[in-house]
Parts: sequence; C-alpha cells; structure tokens
Amino acid sequence: MRGLLIASLLAIGTLSGVAAALVAHADGPTPRAGTWREIAWPFPRDGWPAGRAFRCDAAACGEAVELYVRPKIGFCNCDSGVADDDEVDRVADLDLISQRFSPLEAGKAVIVAEMAGRARSYDLTMVDGSTHAAIGFALSRRCDLLVAVAQGKGEAANVQRVATEFLGSDNMTRWITVALNGG
Amino acid sequence: MKSRTLFVAYSAIVVVTCCGGANAQQANTQQAATQQQVIGAPPEASNMKLVGSNDLQARSAYQPTIHHQGDRWIAYIGHHGGTDAVPDPVNPMTGKAEPNGTSIVDVTDPAHPKYLHHIPGQEGKYESGGAQMVRVCDGKSLPKGDADAVYMLRAVGSQGHEIWNVADPANPVLVTKIGEGLKDTHKNFWECDTGIAYLVSGAPDWRTRRMAQVYDLSDPAHPVKIRDFGLVGQEPGSTGAVPTEMHGMISTGPQGNRIYFGYGTDKGGIMQIVDRDKLLNGPKEPTPDNLRFPEISRMPMSAFNGAHTTFPMKDMPIAEFAKDKDGKTRDIVMIVDEAILNECGEPRQMVWFADVTTETRPMMISSFTVPEAGGQFCERGGRFGSHSSNESMAPVYYKKMAFIAFFNAGVRALDIRDPYHPKEVGYFIPSITAATDKRCVPAEGQDRCKVAIQTNNVETDERGYIYIVDRANTGLHILELTGAARRAAGLP
Repeated sequence: MRGLLIASLLAIGTLSGVAAALVAHADGPTPRAGTWREIAWPFPRDGWPAGRAFRCDAAACGEAVELYVRPKIGFCNCDSGVADDDEVDRVADLDLISQRFSPLEAGKAVIVAEMAGRARSYDLTMVDGSTHAAIGFALSRRCDLLVAVAQGKGEAANVQRVATEFLGSDNMTRWITVALNGG
Repeated sequence: MKSRTLFVAYSAIVVVTCCGGANAQQANTQQAATQQQVIGAPPEASNMKLVGSNDLQARSAYQPTIHHQGDRWIAYIGHHGGTDAVPDPVNPMTGKAEPNGTSIVDVTDPAHPKYLHHIPGQEGKYESGGAQMVRVCDGKSLPKGDADAVYMLRAVGSQGHEIWNVADPANPVLVTKIGEGLKDTHKNFWECDTGIAYLVSGAPDWRTRRMAQVYDLSDPAHPVKIRDFGLVGQEPGSTGAVPTEMHGMISTGPQGNRIYFGYGTDKGGIMQIVDRDKLLNGPKEPTPDNLRFPEISRMPMSAFNGAHTTFPMKDMPIAEFAKDKDGKTRDIVMIVDEAILNECGEPRQMVWFADVTTETRPMMISSFTVPEAGGQFCERGGRFGSHSSNESMAPVYYKKMAFIAFFNAGVRALDIRDPYHPKEVGYFIPSITAATDKRCVPAEGQDRCKVAIQTNNVETDERGYIYIVDRANTGLHILELTGAARRAAGLP
C-alpha cells in the first residue's frame, strides 16, 4: 500500500513536471504561460494508444478549454495526406467526446509543427443535451497522423484560437516531433 | 560489407523441410532462424514446397486470382503503385517504364510460369497507384456476356474500376470503365453467375473513403448501377461519428442470399451480415433507414483488430458435435485482420473464426496467430501479422484447409476442419532476392530499414496449387502441400 502511494506520488510528480515544462515555454500572449496544465487522458482505451490531455481554465482562456492530442501511427493516405474535411470528421477524435457533432463551416488548411493538414470547427451535442464548441485538427506526415481536438463551452472562435496557439507552441511542437519519430 | 553479409547469412541458415513430422521440423527450422533474411539463404518451410516462381517484374503485388481458361490456367495479379526508388518499373517485354497495374501469367505449368502481359495501372506510389484488385468471370457464365469473352474486373488506383476482355490473356482489350473520380477503391466481389458486382469505392459525396457501389455487370460492356451501400453515418449529408470504412465483402449469391461485409483494416473491425435480396431489391436511397434495411446483424470486433477478409463457410460438420441433437453443423466466417505497421508497431493482427449459425447472435469461437518467438518476426523487418486468406471455394480445400498470408512469416496452412480449434500444419517463407524492397521504421529521428519477405496475398486453384505474392516486390511463388498437410487436405 505504501509502495503504491509512493508510486502514485512519483507519477503525479512526473506528470506535473512534464506539464510545467510544457506551459513554461508556451508561446504568445494568450493563453499566458502557465495556463495549460496536463490532465489525465479521460477516455477509455480504443484502437489507438492514449494521448495527452490539457486544460486551460476560464481565467486564462476566457472559458475553460480542454485539448486532447495524440499521434495515430499508420495512416493509409501516405501520399495524399488529409485530403478533405470528411477526413477530419473521421479521424480527429471528436467521437471520443460525443458521437453527435456537426461542422460549423468548411475546414481550413493549417500547418502545425511543420505538418500540413486541416482544422474544422464543430458543434458538439453532449450526453446531457448541452452544446460545446470544438475544433478538430488532422495533420499528416508521410503515413502517420497527428490529431487533436479542443472543446469548451464558449465561443468556437475562442476555442479555436487558444487551441491553435497551444498546439503550435515550441514544447508541443517538440513533443509532436518526438512522438511521430517513435519516441 | 560483403563479409558482414556473409556472416549474417551463415547465422541465418535454416533447414528446408519437405515432408512429414511437421511439428518437430517446424520448431527446428524456426528456432534456427535469426532475425533478418539474407539473399542466398534458402526458404523456410514446413509441409509446403516451392513448385515455381516468377518475379512479376519486381512489382509490389496485391490480389492474385487464378482462372481456368479453356485448357490453360492463368494468374491475374493486381499490383500496388511503385516505390519511391522505382515509381514505374520497366516492363522488359515492351522496354518501357510502366506504372504498376495487372500482371497476367500463364501458370498452366506451375513449375514454369510464363509472364504474358502487363496492363499498366494508375500512376502513383504504394497505395496511391497501381491496380490492386482483380476478379475474373467467363462471358459464358454471365447472363448477358459475350460467350467467347473472359472478363477481368480490376480496381484502378484510387480513381475507378475497369473491365477488360482477357480471352487472349496476352492481348487484353479494355471493355469499359466504371465509376471514375472516386476517392478510393479496394477489394471487390463479382458473382459470375448473376453478374452482380460489389465494388469497394469512395463515392465523392460519401463521408468515407471506402463503401460499396453495387452494379449489375451481367453485361460487362454496359454496367448498370444498382445502389450505394455502407454503414449509417457514412452516407452523404450525415453528421457525427463516421463508422470505420469498408474493406471488402464476399457474397454467397442468390442461393445463399447472404453477403458478409468486412469493415476496418487493423482497427475497430465490424463483420456485417447482409440479406442480399433486400440489398439488391430494397429501397436504394442512402438514408439511414434504407442502409439498415438489409442488415441482419453485425459483430463488432475489438478496437485492436480489423476485418480485412470475411470468408464464409456454411454448414460445416463439427466432429465434436456429431452426437448432439442440434447444432451438428455450424455456419462459420473466417475473419482475417490486416497488419499495417512494420516491426510489430501495433496490436497483433490475426485470424478469427466466428460461429454465425444463429445469425443475429454471431460469436467469435477461436483464433490463430503465428507464434512470434518461432521466427523472431518482430525483429525481421517489415510487417508481421495476418493480411488475407485464399478466397477460392473450390472443393480441394474449401472447409478443410485455409491459407493465410502473414507478411514476414510467409504463408501459413491451417487445418480448419474443426474451426473451434484451427491448427497450423505447414508454412512457407520465400527467400528474399535482390528485388525485395526494404521496410523502414523511425528510430531516433531517422529511418532504420530491413529487408524481409512480405507475403501479402494468397490464392489457390482447383488443382491444389497455392499462389503467394509479395508486397515487397519479390514476386509470385507457386507452392504445393507435402507430408502431413497434404494428408490433412486429403490430397494423394
């Protein structure tokens, strides 16, 4: 029991250290450095290994926003990459949050961590009937994907802005690069 | 470099077995094998032996279909697109660089296969080009076909499908094109007695790369579209989560009145049982209700596994159940996953057997995988895991033996007479050649590459020959069973 407690404390400490390192180097005026903290991956195991989850509180991001990001190694569209918005609908992990989502508009081509792909905004209908704003990212490099989805109760434009800034921060870029290189 | 290669070659020497005592020899053979294959080392085998081979012009191979054509046996082999190093290999018969398409090989004498013709495919590398899938029907068996024609249906790259008249296999003639401008294509099925074809396609307005377009190809020169089909959530205009994409299907025709669809490749597999008559004659607009209408049931698999091949075997007598008052025979579907990642970078993809006798309550009853430690397959390079099975229902092997393409573990022969307890009785892993392409994984920011056989697909013919083709450009190998495996199959 004591061993378990020590192990848990060590794990929490390690996790906090990773999160602190990440947020300490976040770029841009908003969200402020130190505003994103890593939280436990909140979803049950599926076909892909769990990724990393982060939360930015309302005080820093206007509204509370959560972002979930993970590599998906092994993607058949090695040459064409993320070809269209349907691809974002399929792969961006929106279905982990809710099976019911509708796009707000056509997606946009984006580049994050030197990876090209698409981002698209959505309305999510949650289990309790409430609506959340979300943005899904699907980026590809060769035969691999990096997907992220951010959600919050606030305006879609704000969720998109803070998520995009955080995803493009130096530390996230470094982690993404390592994760896709088999790290 | 040469001395290093020789050293590795000696360390990798294995014994080729060609007759009985499968288990002991299998263990000896694979325990002797070290990780990487080297050029010049013999094949690894148990109860299977090489009869003949062809290099297929060093093109990456996907689906082989063997067709008895008059007094000849012809192999039609689909290819993926070219590689980064060689996007368009040279066809020695024409002297021209041609994008990978379809190889046509006369295998009447399996010891001396004769390459007849290459039909170029779509420009593009790997899965983005080529002409991966092939089905063949005689004109005389199709309701409105030209009795003198032999028709080959093939998927062309990601963009569409084509039908060729291959009555003279050395001089094929294009008959028609179907469904150009698609997002993707994949493994089709064509009922030769009715002409109904199920074409895995990516209709531009659907939300998935792969769904089914059902056509009446009873007159191959004049295709008639019947309907589009897929899972609810994939249809045009839908929102929310998108179910996993279709991979292929096998129909039991009007008599069996069932189609077994496989969705997913290496993840989130679904085996769907569909009423063929309702599919063909029910309401066709792709609304959620109309897509649900022909479905009898579906069996979701683990998120770790896909459904690449769904091979039905109905009314299998189960010896263990012979004295039971009910349930003596079972309807079985063999489901084969596809490994995607090199060097065991994902959960194991393998073979599953589902009892679908009670169609609305299908249940997985057994599985098979090659023991990794038997050949250190995770270290050999390339993919390790299953990809596909033979799909021939010829009596020589149907419901008795199944052959599974297992990438770097070659082809595996399974005794499936008791599908509750499938048993491996033989295997064959071809030697690599100078044409065998490398397979890489990222390591410390760079690619680390190895060369290994990548047996991608397997098919059998009515004579009992087994045809395996290699994704890593090593070509076609024609095999036969020996020893205990041959006896298990009831072959002389």
